Amino acid sequence: MGPKHWLYTIPLRLRSLFHRAQADQELDDELRDHLERRTEEYVAQGMTQEEAHRRARLDLGGIEQTKEKCRDARRVNWIQDFVQDLRYGLRILRQNQGFAAVAVLAIALGVGMNVGIFSVLNGAALRLLPIPRAEQIVSVNEIFHGKFTRNSHDGSDMFSYSEYLDYRNHNHVFSGLLAYEPFVGATLGGGKMQELVGAATSCNYFDVLNEHPVLGRGFVDSDCAAPGASAVVVISDDLWRGTFAADASLMGKTIILNRTGYTVVGIAPPGFRGTEPFPSSFWAPITMSKALEPGRDRLTDDNLSWLALLGRVQPGVTMEQVRADLGVIAGQNDQLHPGRTTSLAIHRATFFNRQMEREILAPVAYVILAAFGLVLLVACANVANLLLARASTRQKEIALRLSIGASRWRLVRQLLTESLLLSLIGGVLGSLLAFWSFAGITQFAVSHLPHEFSTLTVNVAPDLRVLAYALTITLLTGIMFGLIPALQSSRLDLNTALKDDSAHSGLGKKGGRFLRNTFVSTQVAVCMVLLLAAGLLLRGLYQAQTVDPGFDFKGVASMFLDLETQGYDANRAAVFVRELQERIAGLPGVIEVAQAECAPLSHDFSGDMFSVPGQRDKVGMLYNHVSPEYFSLLGIPIVRGRGFLPGETYNAPGVIVSESTARQLWPGEDPLAKTLRDSSGREHTVIGVAKDAQVWHLGELNEAYLYFPTGPLVDVRVYMLARYAGDFPGTAKGIREAVQSLDKDMPVGVTAYVAGITRLEDYLEVWRKPSRIVAALSGALGALALILASIGVYGVVSYSVSRCVREIGIRMALGADVRQIMNLVLRQAMRPVLIGGLVGVAGCAAVGGVLSSMLFGVSAHDPIAFISVPLFLLIVALLASYIPARRATRVDPMVALRYE
Amino acid sequence: MSRPSDLVQGTLDMLVLKILALEPLNGFAVSQRLKQVSGDVLQVSDGSLYPALHKLEQEGWITAEWKTSEYGRRAKYYSLTRLGRLQLEKEADNWGRLSSAISRVIKLKEA
Repeated sequence: MGPKHWLYTIPLRLRSLFHRAQADQELDDELRDHLERRTEEYVAQGMTQEEAHRRARLDLGGIEQTKEKCRDARRVNWIQDFVQDLRYGLRILRQNQGFAAVAVLAIALGVGMNVGIFSVLNGAALRLLPIPRAEQIVSVNEIFHGKFTRNSHDGSDMFSYSEYLDYRNHNHVFSGLLAYEPFVGATLGGGKMQELVGAATSCNYFDVLNEHPVLGRGFVDSDCAAPGASAVVVISDDLWRGTFAADASLMGKTIILNRTGYTVVGIAPPGFRGTEPFPSSFWAPITMSKALEPGRDRLTDDNLSWLALLGRVQPGVTMEQVRADLGVIAGQNDQLHPGRTTSLAIHRATFFNRQMEREILAPVAYVILAAFGLVLLVACANVANLLLARASTRQKEIALRLSIGASRWRLVRQLLTESLLLSLIGGVLGSLLAFWSFAGITQFAVSHLPHEFSTLTVNVAPDLRVLAYALTITLLTGIMFGLIPALQSSRLDLNTALKDDSAHSGLGKKGGRFLRNTFVSTQVAVCMVLLLAAGLLLRGLYQAQTVDPGFDFKGVASMFLDLETQGYDANRAAVFVRELQERIAGLPGVIEVAQAECAPLSHDFSGDMFSVPGQRDKVGMLYNHVSPEYFSLLGIPIVRGRGFLPGETYNAPGVIVSESTARQLWPGEDPLAKTLRDSSGREHTVIGVAKDAQVWHLGELNEAYLYFPTGPLVDVRVYMLARYAGDFPGTAKGIREAVQSLDKDMPVGVTAYVAGITRLEDYLEVWRKPSRIVAALSGALGALALILASIGVYGVVSYSVSRCVREIGIRMALGADVRQIMNLVLRQAMRPVLIGGLVGVAGCAAVGGVLSSMLFGVSAHDPIAFISVPLFLLIVALLASYIPARRATRVDPMVALRYE
Repeated sequence: MSRPSDLVQGTLDMLVLKILALEPLNGFAVSQRLKQVSGDVLQVSDGSLYPALHKLEQEGWITAEWKTSEYGRRAKYYSLTRLGRLQLEKEADNWGRLSSAISRVIKLKEA
């Protein structure tokens, strides 16, 4: 139909929409006219006036029904119905303010929490980069398959410099392709000593992102012309304002990063913090990589993954074309590496682009969304139960509507409109609360994350995606809690419903009770899962709090020194470390000093593949390079053989293994004098066995672990451990002064997880933190679910008690005593609770493994948690049903029999 | 057993359009005319005629106006629009094709 058709129909529809009364009047007139004529016809055929009138009405098949059909024929009818339903719904809600308030509150809580957590996940992982025309920017990652060897710096899906140049020069789809090395740590020197995180970038970085420095310039091609050629830097607006007091004369001056001078050529635009979730403070040309991170030459290593790639797609080019075009380049590269195939992961760039990050983030996000979704489910079941209970008081109204010609579908629509109205009010309220509160909550949570994550920027402001999500779950919620009660209550036996009062149908309606019990079971099951998860995590937390890691971590200070980035070579580093160890040992209150490549539980670790002569399989094992004092300082006893001797270095062939290692590699044999070969082919002889200690992973006791002596090459990145008797601040101050007395520009203690000189105990805290956060989260969710579920149980029991007053009265009149009545009510109430509880326990037992990495040695089926939590829940449910049950026992038989 | 008066699905619209193509009529007259011309074979219940009329009006195929009738009575008269005429031609074509196809099948001689 062309537009002309609409010229006819639109006015008609508008008329039936806005002149409803007139249209209805005309319909009345038309049908009355018809009836009169038909009656006249029948009279003419010889019928009496009355008979003729009756026949005419019969022919029309029910005047009201026909009218309704005619109205339906006018297509806009549903809009009118909807408006009518809406008005009616609002009136009903106003009349039942208590009910409405409870329902809206439950929905607002459920929806609000879900919207809030989604806006956090959205801000973290789904939002495009906050740069101009971000939808054009794609991230490129490569994933290797087959036989290959690859060096990896920051994730194996990244690119080497030569690969980047290949993709940049040979693609036909990008208007620009940039590369950068993320998380480049640098010490700002020159009297403003400060640890910065920045990036080494290709020189088209600011051009491709279209973020041109407001002051000064970005990089130009000549900056990247040759390795080490152009020591220039662009610094962030935050750094410029924070550290340099927005001094415009900084432009063209030199700042010191890792002991090399860089000329400041530009200040990044305000608000631009790089393309990683952690803000960058500076950007230097990629060709300065060697100066920024001395000791490594990444530019020339064609087999090293270290660069992230972002490309701006030319207008009009589709993702498929991008994939096809880059795939050709990947295929050409593969020809140089027989046996290796590369697949490219290409998608719109967000703050989390790397395949590894996405693979970790996705399941975590799903688990979190699922947990929050479960609470919403409990809220839904609760409101559904309220609606069911209320529907039975509305039976007469519904029966009346059905009997005067409303179709069942029409009724369901009306009831659904009411529940959608409820969910919309609740959803809007909840979403507003979430938008208002989650920015603060996120900030609070992030600032309590381990040190390095505390600069994480998450933009939780609602965008279209969040709004769509909020609307979707709001509508889904309304349908979820509204549909079943609507279907249930519109399926009525008209005769009994109209004739009888509520007491009768209360006992008779098996279907209603079954539904109510199902809702209760669902709530209890969900509640059980959440509480069990919280219980397990709390047990794990307690375990972590009280666990004996197998070494004495109290009273030990730890400090990390990265001498390599400060320009030390191995020999200078060895001298520095030896001297420093002596100075620290000389401090008052310091008992013993040791050095190690990795401090225990510091999240720093080294590993290699080892082979045992006579055994075929290679074994991956973690190792540490430690000085002789390490064992005595940490109280790890050498149970066989000897420890390291003073002056013994890794040039000596000795290795000390842990007991577990000995058990795993040489079961039942004496490990002493056995040999191990590392991946470079060097042989090591076992000279001693150390007691097991959880030095690598809290809760992992039986991990194989090797200790090698220290030496110059491992001195360039070193932890110094000092056991002290005095107070920690004094000791820390002493250590810092000792470092600076040797090298006043040396930054002290910057690791991924703790800053400065810390106590060894603080490393443990880092391990406990994630489980503490998750335990708090699931505990809060579980508590909320528990409150909702106990309200649900309470509501259902008190409802069924109020419906059974007559039955109870009869029983009492026949001689039942209080105890029997109590038993009856409680038994009925607890059945759905028990069923739901069992389902919840089974469900949690099935999926508990998800949590195992956070449980620190507590089994995912820990009996204490699995007994105490269900018991607790049972007691709460009993209490919730006891209160209304007691009311049942107070029923006066005489009153009850006369009741209603 | 099927009743002969059962209308093939969707043909009521076509019949009403055709009848209104001859002259504008009110609802009652449409019903009478249907019975008349089909020799009482096609009996459309009054209860389904009116919704059909309202639907056709909504589609823009017929239009209605209130007129005073022969006996000085006000009644709602329906008449065909230009769109309705096109629609009628289309449906009549379809019907012609369908019915001739069916009768060809029915008239097949048994071997």
